[in-house]
Amino acid sequence: MPSMLGLVRRDADEIRELRPRNALGALVVVCAMLVLIVRLYQLQILRGDEYSAQSVSNFRKSLFVPADRGMIKDRNGHTLVDNRPSFDVFLTPAFCPPQAKGDARDKGGTRDEVMAKLATYLAMTPDDIDRMKQDYQRSWTSRDKLEKFKPYLVELDIPRDQVDVLEAHRSELSCVDLIPTPHRNYRVGPSLGHVLGYMSEVTPEELDDKPDEYRRGQTIGRRGLERRWERELRGTDGRENIAVNARGQHLGKDMDELLIPENERFVAATPGNNLVLSLDERLQEAADAAFPGRAGAVLVMEAKTGFILAMLSRPSFDPNKMSGRITRAELQKVNEDPLKPMLNRVMNENYHPGSTFKAVTSLAALEENEITPSSTLFCTGGYTMGNHRWRCDKPQGHGALTLKSALQVSCDAFYYALGDRVGLDALSGMAHRLGYGQPTGLDLGREIPGIIPDSKSISPATGSVRSHAINAAIGQGEVNVTPLQQAVAYASIANGGNVWIPQIVRRIETPEGKVVREFQPDPDVNNGRQGKLDVKPQSLAAVREGLVAVVNEPGGTGYRSRLADVVFAGKTGTAQVMKLGQKQKLDPATQAYLSRDHAWFVAFAPADDPEIVVVVLNEHGGWGAEAAAPSASKVVRAYFELKKRDAVAMKAGL
Amino acid sequence: MSLAMEKKLDHLHWPLVLCTIVICTLGVWNLASATKSALNPMWIAQSKWMFLGAVAVGAFLFLDYRFLSTAAWPGYFAALALLAGVAFKGKKVLGARRWLQVGPMQLQPSEFVKLALIVVLARYFSKDDVSARKGQYGLVDLWQPFVLVLIPVALVMKQPDLGTALVTFAIAMTMIVFAKVNWQSLTALFAGGIASSLFAWQRLLKPYQKSRILTFLDPQAYAKGAGYHAIQSVIAVGSGQWSGKGWGEGTQNQLSFLPEQHTDFIFSVWAEEHGFLGGVLLVSLYGFLVLTALDVASNARDKFGSFLAIGIAALFFWHAFINIGMVTGMLPVVGVPLPLFSYGGSSVLADLLGVGILLNVSLRRFMF
Repeated sequence: MPSMLGLVRRDADEIRELRPRNALGALVVVCAMLVLIVRLYQLQILRGDEYSAQSVSNFRKSLFVPADRGMIKDRNGHTLVDNRPSFDVFLTPAFCPPQAKGDARDKGGTRDEVMAKLATYLAMTPDDIDRMKQDYQRSWTSRDKLEKFKPYLVELDIPRDQVDVLEAHRSELSCVDLIPTPHRNYRVGPSLGHVLGYMSEVTPEELDDKPDEYRRGQTIGRRGLERRWERELRGTDGRENIAVNARGQHLGKDMDELLIPENERFVAATPGNNLVLSLDERLQEAADAAFPGRAGAVLVMEAKTGFILAMLSRPSFDPNKMSGRITRAELQKVNEDPLKPMLNRVMNENYHPGSTFKAVTSLAALEENEITPSSTLFCTGGYTMGNHRWRCDKPQGHGALTLKSALQVSCDAFYYALGDRVGLDALSGMAHRLGYGQPTGLDLGREIPGIIPDSKSISPATGSVRSHAINAAIGQGEVNVTPLQQAVAYASIANGGNVWIPQIVRRIETPEGKVVREFQPDPDVNNGRQGKLDVKPQSLAAVREGLVAVVNEPGGTGYRSRLADVVFAGKTGTAQVMKLGQKQKLDPATQAYLSRDHAWFVAFAPADDPEIVVVVLNEHGGWGAEAAAPSASKVVRAYFELKKRDAVAMKAGL
Repeated sequence: MSLAMEKKLDHLHWPLVLCTIVICTLGVWNLASATKSALNPMWIAQSKWMFLGAVAVGAFLFLDYRFLSTAAWPGYFAALALLAGVAFKGKKVLGARRWLQVGPMQLQPSEFVKLALIVVLARYFSKDDVSARKGQYGLVDLWQPFVLVLIPVALVMKQPDLGTALVTFAIAMTMIVFAKVNWQSLTALFAGGIASSLFAWQRLLKPYQKSRILTFLDPQAYAKGAGYHAIQSVIAVGSGQWSGKGWGEGTQNQLSFLPEQHTDFIFSVWAEEHGFLGGVLLVSLYGFLVLTALDVASNARDKFGSFLAIGIAALFFWHAFINIGMVTGMLPVVGVPLPLFSYGGSSVLADLLGVGILLNVSLRRFMF
């Protein structure tokens, strides 16, 4: 076959010619394989540790074990706030995407399936369903790619039967987590709402602020002690690391043990510390029961230490409700209530002190030597300065009065004269020394300073300095005080001149009861006075004598509220309310209510060696003698009854 | 055993046989790990396909490979017919029609089209008289092979299967380059390639194909979308470190973080569980396979055999390079199987037949 041979020969030549290309090809192949090997070296050797860590974090899911929040107890160890077991429902968007991934093994369900099931199983309201969908959308569309892997709160504190239903359907709801969370249990009603505060979910801003401390869906203290002592009460969350597959399903205990080192599998939570308050729950109840008004405040404070025994601001809110599943409508109702239930009237609202301020004017006049305890002034039923006449309560006049009798009958004309003599700045100075015009320093959140006018602060358009002094002398005009300031001021009059910073927390204890921190009476060192009022003992004694007469001598404004067993002192006050403008459209009943005077009574007891100060403010309650003094009297009585009962119990115990 | 038979066995390319057996064995072993948690053990099915392939290769060796030259055109058109069949009657899986039901089996004709194309191009370049074209091919001279290539590539694109289309095209281009194309034409081809890929981007590519390429360029931006595969694969490979996590111990693989771990991302399973050392071994095995194929091409008896071997070299090279490049994050995620490692009967069968062609060409290198 010569032709065949020829063909083959030519082929052989051409193949030989192809060889350089084949060699070049081989070189390219070797280079390409080297590129692959270099790439493997780069990934596996140079960056192997990094990818190893990433593969570990892929299958590692960190569940947090919430720390038990510290309890809050009253001075006798009575529990005011503790925790009860409950379950919260969380959803992780990444594990139930809007559309099925087309993966037959994916049994987690899509967003809509899961949400429909949740809505049924949890009997969710349309509001809650909306919120669940909005939160999902926000998480899904977030710029942060990991956001959708973070569980968010769907429903708080679900009932036991719903827990069972969810457990039963666990397999079809793999993106839903049931997290056992101890929930706050406020054992006392709304009367301590403002003191204790409440809990609610952390906001995104707070999460940004403290990313290491809080997780989404956790709660944080709002208002009151819950907020102020968040750090102590909260404790430190623990962690449980489990192994999951790509669909977020737990692989079981065996795989956990295989994949996660033992010391990382479970990190126990550290429970928060307990707060022990100076508050006496029984006295708090008595104060709540004694207070007749729709709105106002009652405050009981130890006169010799500044520790608060009872603190009531009405209307209030139910911390259980606020911490739990409050509906939007309920929340709106609270926020729109004209009586402002969220306002802590003890320290965040201003009132004219009315006649209760006469104690301040008296002290100022005595210290300025404008009068002596025995000097008299004559009341003609009013006081005239220039062409303006200030009227006294008793148009026919009280006649000749000493300081004591002027306080006893609460004669305005006497104090107009005294204010005019003493002057606005001396009045203001004494008020400041007593703690008015500045926050008292109670460590319970925001506190307003009140207003004490002086010659520099007033504007001439509102009248002369003299006329301001005359108004201020009876606690009207521009003088504004908080019930808390009243307690501090009267305590210092009662205790011989010590100005205390009021406190409500006695000590902080570990869950085992070991004292972490004990609070001591805290003198108010403002103005460089080292907590001293710095007035003559005789001046204080004279004022005290007048205040005793108010309650214990016939004709005294508080005489009807006197007690048989205990001699206590006090001062009534009836503060005129500024006339309402026509801006607010209110119904006549509300209008009438809002234009009534505020009733005050500030007391200390027992009169000879005062232990407590009681402040009662009855907003729009009318006369202090009628609307405030009786409840203060009841609180005083309750205090001594409790004291007697404790002494008997103590004796029985011994 | 006859003397002729013994002589033939002597001439059989034993290193190539051994290399293929090693790759197949490792592949089945690795597949067993990749599908450990699956209900049907795919490694058994894969072994069956390999056995079938080995039998087919054994039978094929008794024939002279030159009969393929006669069978080239019928084979080519038969493959095209199957592709067309897929386009209209194929089984739709994950939005693409790639499979054809043949009795109890599902065939993926696009795998066999590559072989048919290699054969038909080998025939074209061996019959064509290059000397009539001044010893080199110009651009105009190449219109016939281009038509031969573009028809099946277009049909594969339509399935759509971007990866296979690209590999098919790359194999054909490699053969054309090896067939003495002049430099001007090469340059023109290169420019044309860029222009046509721009055109493809604008008009031809499906959104998911585009997103894969975008993802490749910036995987982090698509971390939980299209880039998820790429990132998880790189994590799997990287976390293998020096010696890997051990067979069946790869968390990325076993806990389903790795997508398509039994097909396109099978190398990630291997690299995760056997580390850098395992990776280098496998890359070297593929390198050896391709270099052997080029060696066979250089020592073939005739041009037809030589071009066949070059085509098979290109087949293994592009598959291995694109697949490993893809799972290590160097190349965009286009679905290309790793020869003899990825699960898939058609691809295993086609790859083994490719090895069979190499063995046949090398076996008959001294025959005149």
